[in-house]
Amino acid sequence: MRTRIGIQFVAVVGVVIAVAITVLAMLTLRSHRREMIAQLTRSADLLSETVKRSTEDYMLENRRERVLRQIEAIGRDERIDRVRLFNKEGRIVFSSDAAEVGRLPEPGSEACVGCDQGQPPLDERTRIFTVGARRLLGIANPIQNQPSCSAAACHAHPPDETVLGVLDVTMRLDDVDQQIAASRRRIAALAVVTIAVTGLLLWVLSRRLIVRPVEALAAGTRRVAAGDLTTTIAVTGRHELGELASAFNAMTARLSDDQRQLAQADKLASVGRLAAGVAHEINNPLTGVLSYASLLAERPGLNPEMRADLEVVVRETKRCREIVRGLLDFARQTPPRRQPTDLNDVARRAVAVVMNQLQLRHVSLALDLAADLPAVDADANQMQQVLVNLLLNATDAIGERGGTIRLASRRSELPPRGHELIRRAVCPAGCDLLDATSRVGGSPRIRVVWTHGDREWTVCLDPVYGRFNHLSAEPCPEGVVALVACPRCRASLACPDHPCPDCGAPTFAVRGVADEPIHLCTRTGCHYTWWEARERRGAAPIAELAVEDDGRGIPRDALAKLFEPFFTTKGVRGTGLGLAITWGIVEGHGGTIDVESEEGKGTRVTVRLPVAASDQKRVAA
Amino acid sequence: MTGDDVLVIDDEPVVRDAVRRVLGANGLGVATAGDGAAGLAHPALATCRLVLCDLMLPDRSGMDVLQDIRQRRPGLPVVVITGYATPDHAARAAEAGAADFLAKPFEAKELVDMVRRALTSTDVRGERRA
Repeated sequence: MRTRIGIQFVAVVGVVIAVAITVLAMLTLRSHRREMIAQLTRSADLLSETVKRSTEDYMLENRRERVLRQIEAIGRDERIDRVRLFNKEGRIVFSSDAAEVGRLPEPGSEACVGCDQGQPPLDERTRIFTVGARRLLGIANPIQNQPSCSAAACHAHPPDETVLGVLDVTMRLDDVDQQIAASRRRIAALAVVTIAVTGLLLWVLSRRLIVRPVEALAAGTRRVAAGDLTTTIAVTGRHELGELASAFNAMTARLSDDQRQLAQADKLASVGRLAAGVAHEINNPLTGVLSYASLLAERPGLNPEMRADLEVVVRETKRCREIVRGLLDFARQTPPRRQPTDLNDVARRAVAVVMNQLQLRHVSLALDLAADLPAVDADANQMQQVLVNLLLNATDAIGERGGTIRLASRRSELPPRGHELIRRAVCPAGCDLLDATSRVGGSPRIRVVWTHGDREWTVCLDPVYGRFNHLSAEPCPEGVVALVACPRCRASLACPDHPCPDCGAPTFAVRGVADEPIHLCTRTGCHYTWWEARERRGAAPIAELAVEDDGRGIPRDALAKLFEPFFTTKGVRGTGLGLAITWGIVEGHGGTIDVESEEGKGTRVTVRLPVAASDQKRVAA
Repeated sequence: MTGDDVLVIDDEPVVRDAVRRVLGANGLGVATAGDGAAGLAHPALATCRLVLCDLMLPDRSGMDVLQDIRQRRPGLPVVVITGYATPDHAARAAEAGAADFLAKPFEAKELVDMVRRALTSTDVRGERRA
């Protein structure tokens, strides 16, 4: 495919150039030759005239040997083939070639042309002919009878004769032919060089501008066809193919997004089907257990020990019920029905829902809602579910001894650094660097390979821009400059032309959304990161909700898994679905959720949602 | 009180038995049926004061049974019980004229409270109609 385009292109243009040069060369050579022959003709004529004049006196004096010598002398010039003088009978009287003196040229031979008339024009007296391998130009110059001739002492010519003889000068065309041949060679060489250079140039250009981008597109299309939707193509320029590459990238990004959502939806649908089945199958036997056990536990005069045991049965059965309901809730996650929403209202409603529980557990609630909170585009019910979830988690974290929960809202600006989630990271070859098996805050980490000397580490980076927390099974030594590569295709991620401004070491880059590079330092311990394109876009207005408790806190190793379905720190009291649902809802709103926690001191969960478009101007003002 | 106060239509024997035991312990007579056809054919349907009906029955949907019962005895309260309790189902049951909605599994007290509530409201309505 590619050779065909390039070669066809070059061949067609090459043939056109060759034809054009050939036609031009033929026309040029023809006029050049005509010009040279005309010039030669004029000089031959001049020569012939000169010979005629210079021999005239000798003729009048009838000094034939002088005429002969003169003709011989002139005929010795190598440009001149021969000089001959014919008498009126056509016999050669004098010639620079002594051998032919006295002969008659064969009738109709080249020397007989145009000597019958008086003085025909020059071109009629001129002839070009070939003798052996030699091309010659002959000029016949008739010698007219003049009064001085007929009156001369020799009385050789009577006055009634008009033409006394013909002076014939023959010039060699070798020079002209050689020059023409040389010109032809020069033009041919020039044509070959022109075709070669133009062809090469076209080939290089077509490879660069057409074939390579088309190849890249074809390769990209094949990768997409093979199912790799992280494929991106380098955008080579602002021309049509560049636009095509951009469109291709946009298409795959869209497909990839759609596929991710479909996969998530598919997963949810399977969990949903499972949950529906489980709910129906389990809830019936649970009905028996729960109603009989609770009936028994209420029976008056029951032995207290037995009553306590029955209460355990009732409590645990109710826990089963909660698990099944959690599954059903999880299965029922629907796309948010978003409209401009005041998160303060949502917060108040969520508090009303959980207030009873809080009072029962001796938890006091401090509500700190900002009056100037901008509206967000959100599904109020789903956001309420998020807050109820977070408030109940905070209550559970506080436990039996009582404590305080603070629910705060505020408007804020989100600088990209430290907050912006890196939702796409690929290597130059297009491999996805996001590792779904290692998550932080519910989002996959960026996985790369660090090499230093003969040692190698797989390092997972925080997917939040600017956070740069490394996680590797075995810690890398501090302060070494590593070679960083893609874990899948081993392509180097190095960016030698972007040194780290903090420590001078080279940086490496991963490519994010729209192929914007995100630079990071290759020196372990240096925390430089730079996302040029995101920094240029500046801070985004957001509405923030924070739920803070002074409970037991979350162990460090549990933080990473917090948002995974079925992961729970509540032991037997949790289903592990609450935060998975919460994360899904916040993600579905294009927001972020952050958890900061210190064991023994408490936890703070922050939900950040983008401000509704209608409210953005107000915030900016 | 004569005859059965409550008719339970559910395909799970354990649910029928549990309801019978719990309501029986609270002085209510309970008749049971294992599917929609049996429930509609049950003689207790003519005399009972409340029907508990499962949403997923082997022969037909609980919603259909609910509508048939409401045609025959428009004033009779029908409570929908289901193991697949979603707000959506609850809303549909309410639209179809269910008096209440009870999610399985339930505690004895939850069942009794719900049944009492339903019976009281009918009595009130019955008085108004009279």
